[in-house]
Amino acid sequence: MSVKRKGPRAALVRALTYVLLVAVAAIVIFPFVVAVATSTKNNQDIYNYPPTLIPRENQTVSASSVGVEGDPKPLYSFPDSDATYVLVDNDVSIAEFRRLGDLERVIRVDVTLGIKTGDTVEIDGEQEDVFVVELDGIAVQAYRSRLTSGGRFVNLDDPSDIRFELVNLAEPETQFGPRLSNFSEVLIDKELGRSLTNTILVTLAVVGGQILTSILGGYAFARIDFKGRNSIFLVYLGSVMVPFVVLIIPLFQLMLQVGWLDNLAALIIPFVFTAYGTFLMRQFFVGVPKEIEEAALLDNASRSTILWKIMVPLARPAIATLATFGFLYAWNSFFWPLVIINSGNPDGRVLSLALSTLGGRSSTDVNLVFAGAVVAMTPPILVFLFAQRYFVRNSASSGLK
Amino acid sequence: MATVVFNSVSKQYKGEGPLAVDALDLTIEDGEFMVLVGPSGCGKSTALRMIAGLEEVTSGDLSIGSKVVNDLPPGDRDIAMVFQNYALYPHMTVRDNIGFALKVAKRPKAEIKSRTEDAASMLGLTEYLDRLPKALSGGQRQRVAMGRAIVRNPQVFLMDEPLSNLDAKLRVQMRSEIIDIQKRLGTTMVYVTHDQVEAMTMGHRVAVMRLGLLQQVAPPQELYHQPANVFVAAFIGSPAMNLLSADLERDGDKLVASFDGHTITIDDRAVERYPDLPDHVGSPVILGLRPEHFAMDGDADLPDDQKLTLHVDLAEAMGAEVHIHSTVDLAPVELDGELVTADDGENGDSSVSGSKTKLIAKVDGIHTVRTGDETRLAVKTHLAHFFDPATGQPLR
Repeated sequence: MSVKRKGPRAALVRALTYVLLVAVAAIVIFPFVVAVATSTKNNQDIYNYPPTLIPRENQTVSASSVGVEGDPKPLYSFPDSDATYVLVDNDVSIAEFRRLGDLERVIRVDVTLGIKTGDTVEIDGEQEDVFVVELDGIAVQAYRSRLTSGGRFVNLDDPSDIRFELVNLAEPETQFGPRLSNFSEVLIDKELGRSLTNTILVTLAVVGGQILTSILGGYAFARIDFKGRNSIFLVYLGSVMVPFVVLIIPLFQLMLQVGWLDNLAALIIPFVFTAYGTFLMRQFFVGVPKEIEEAALLDNASRSTILWKIMVPLARPAIATLATFGFLYAWNSFFWPLVIINSGNPDGRVLSLALSTLGGRSSTDVNLVFAGAVVAMTPPILVFLFAQRYFVRNSASSGLK
Repeated sequence: MATVVFNSVSKQYKGEGPLAVDALDLTIEDGEFMVLVGPSGCGKSTALRMIAGLEEVTSGDLSIGSKVVNDLPPGDRDIAMVFQNYALYPHMTVRDNIGFALKVAKRPKAEIKSRTEDAASMLGLTEYLDRLPKALSGGQRQRVAMGRAIVRNPQVFLMDEPLSNLDAKLRVQMRSEIIDIQKRLGTTMVYVTHDQVEAMTMGHRVAVMRLGLLQQVAPPQELYHQPANVFVAAFIGSPAMNLLSADLERDGDKLVASFDGHTITIDDRAVERYPDLPDHVGSPVILGLRPEHFAMDGDADLPDDQKLTLHVDLAEAMGAEVHIHSTVDLAPVELDGELVTADDGENGDSSVSGSKTKLIAKVDGIHTVRTGDETRLAVKTHLAHFFDPATGQPLR
């Protein structure tokens, strides 16, 4: 128990502690927030500058409200006007005119609305045709500086007010709008769903297998007296020291011999045996008072009853720890699948592989890459949240003095 | 219910070292409450665990009922055991803990329920049936462990220091409850303890062990009044018996014992109880005086030659009596090269220290004795015990 100190100095220290902790927490959590935010943005929003954390989409009105047919039309505004404009047609031919006598004044109109007078004028040493165009209801003389394509904007409140402007110079009217279809798109169109299924399958098999083999092995090493037990245990534990990179080539050869290349079995079978897990379970079982087992023996319980009805329920915290580590390892494993699974076989891909492929192939669709990342990182976070209460709880000794 | 018979049973751990139990011959009768007592390492727990089948018998025959059980696994012996730390299954409720053996035996659910509840009501656990062990107090856990044993209705109960984790008050209460339960069920009980008070109060008979050897098996009173050797004499009784290396001499027709300048005459009745005593005249003997064999001068009608004056190192007023601690300049009594000490429990090192021997006398509580006083005490030598210093055997 901690002793609570009082007084202004202690309060200040505590406040500073919290500020520091909150700051660090914010720094740690920020990438996750960015990932989640980006995963729900649409293709335009991801390139908006300055970037925002809240996904936004263009505001629209129905096409009929401006007297045309088709999809809902987006809303825009212009710096020189308070009115809201509807982009009715975003691909019209536009001519840019500059008024004679006031060359800074740019007049953009539909290309058909400029009427050639036949006169010419010299601008920067070149002969240009003179046109008559309408500016604020008055016909003025101008020359055509360029032809381009842009949008036809109609004032939402005044259908007679029509402007021809470049779309990228207009300011879109935006609102909160997450694009959740990113997820379905990445899962279905980008085939991440199959990879997700594979990963879940591989992870469940690896975690289940690890728990089973670790319980059996750990119990044997902890409680069954057989010849050479301690030396075998030392050798087994020593295998933890062998780095995985050393094993890649022999393991690959082995998989080749067994015929499991490009097969999920190669991602599962070699990993259901874990020296670390066996060690973890052994240490736990060694710590369970012998008397509990002896009491069960006197109750005429068999070895397997003792193991599954008494030791395993007691070992739940250790099993949860083991399961969490096994889960994270299997879920995040990248290099071995990369070696074993053919890059041309999307049906055998696991999530980590699919994500790296997605990052390469859809590098312009950052939102989709992030959606894939969010899909990949949600299950581990959930598993951790679920399992963490077991990390702190240890019920093994509570039935004793 | 069954008798338990040790027939020259020995136990050696890992096939080397001294025998933990050395050729134990002991018959525990059907329905008897037998207490195994001794200092730690005396082999009492090992003997118990051999009955349970948790330790293998190295040599000899161990039988329960009329069947030799040396090679029978623990579950097939029809015995139940209560452990010192209770060994409850922490993840199971009280109900499941008590009913576990019946469940393993695949008894019908209704039977498990009724037998569990019967055992629980016998122990006053009914309202705790659905709690986990961690939500129980020490005494309640102890009861659950008892319930787990009772529900089996076994041939033999084994208890391995079941009360040593309880506080003193609860220990006294559980002591009488265990006695009561054993009486009601009539089941053979083997009870291991290092606490000689438990041994004295609980057992029909008490087996005292030391270094793997059985010292004496007898009812508690006999153990106290006719110890089979100097170890039993020192171990049983609290405060422990005072053991003094005295020189035995003849003075006229009387025998006198002298030590550290004190000389006391030995009553003839003691010589009747220890007929070998006259043979040891002129040689040292171990004089055993229990604290209650002393009385304040005047309280007992004893001749002056049975009195001595002692310096009071410490006076403990207990209310009904006063314990007078004193010291005599005398090498403490040794047996097999070891100091003979009282039990390793709560009495502490009451008998010996260095080249001095401590002496404790118990006198009536009405007397006021102060630390530092000189006090004159009468010795009821007719009750004294005498042992051979070479063998530790009584001189009879």
